[in-house]
Amino acid sequence: MLGGASTRRWWARLHRSYSGGVQDLLLERPAWYVLGPLLGLVVLGLLVTINERFGVLGGYSNVVERVTSRSPTLGWKGWLLVGVLGGSLVFRLLAGSGAVPDGYGWLTRTFSGSLGTVAVGALLLVAGALIGFGAKTAGGCTSGNGIGGCSAGSTSSFAATATFMCTAIAVTFLIRAVT
Amino acid sequence: MRLRAAACLFGALFGFLISWGQFSDPDRIRDMLLLNDLYLYLMMFSAIAVAFTGTWLLRRRRAHALLTGERIAVERTRPERRHIVGAAIFGVGWAVADSCPAPIAAQLTQGVLWSLFTIAGIFIGVEVFLRARLRRADRPAPSAPSEAPVESVA
Repeated sequence: MLGGASTRRWWARLHRSYSGGVQDLLLERPAWYVLGPLLGLVVLGLLVTINERFGVLGGYSNVVERVTSRSPTLGWKGWLLVGVLGGSLVFRLLAGSGAVPDGYGWLTRTFSGSLGTVAVGALLLVAGALIGFGAKTAGGCTSGNGIGGCSAGSTSSFAATATFMCTAIAVTFLIRAVT
Repeated sequence: MRLRAAACLFGALFGFLISWGQFSDPDRIRDMLLLNDLYLYLMMFSAIAVAFTGTWLLRRRRAHALLTGERIAVERTRPERRHIVGAAIFGVGWAVADSCPAPIAAQLTQGVLWSLFTIAGIFIGVEVFLRARLRRADRPAPSAPSEAPVESVA
């Protein structure tokens, strides 16, 4: 039975239909009422196991502290970031190349050519610096203040979340108006 | 060691889920910020609702953390100027890059190499913050900047 041509064909068909099914499933985003509660459970999972507030920015900070020898080791925050990198890699491997968009949103649509590449890179570098400095100052990013801090009932997180949401919406409309 | 493994596991689940939600696509975030698509808001609201309820129940039952054995507690801080100013700066960066720290990390391993610029930027921003904090700590200020009033509620 094993190794027969028909069996191999059957396996190939099964594999095709299976991986096709998984890809179809992953290329369609789940409903918000599925994804939201699942992300809430992940945040809760970290609290239940190690009594810590979820937050991804802390991972970047941990890497900087480790590289500059301010911190002797990569702590749980750094490993959380490693996990995020690994989890999205697994997603990419299962979902295939169809999951990855071409270009980079409004930036590559607005700036093209070799000069455009420089402009997009520079704008992303500046945007990243604002994200890093701003979130450190505010005590968290979208995951840390937005989900972690708000679910802990921290009023500073409510204030920070309302502020960055409103600012981001306003600036996005401004960008659309001038481009 | 077990703490790091747990953090890595929950980070991986988070990374997988936000990738599935297509948050690594800048245009998805832009659609949300232009209020064309309410998915992000509904998703975040339901995530907070679940985590908030769970946290409340854990504290009510005086639960202990599975790996550390500590009584589960959360930190609450009152809003200060820095929360507002920092969040506003963060919001500008978010609007330009149409992404934030977790989706930017997801972009990298999905092969969106533009994220290398954003990641380099985050490292610079964090470094600038850490240096500024060090300078503040060195300066013997008569009116020392008060540490955030942190309230730990078990």
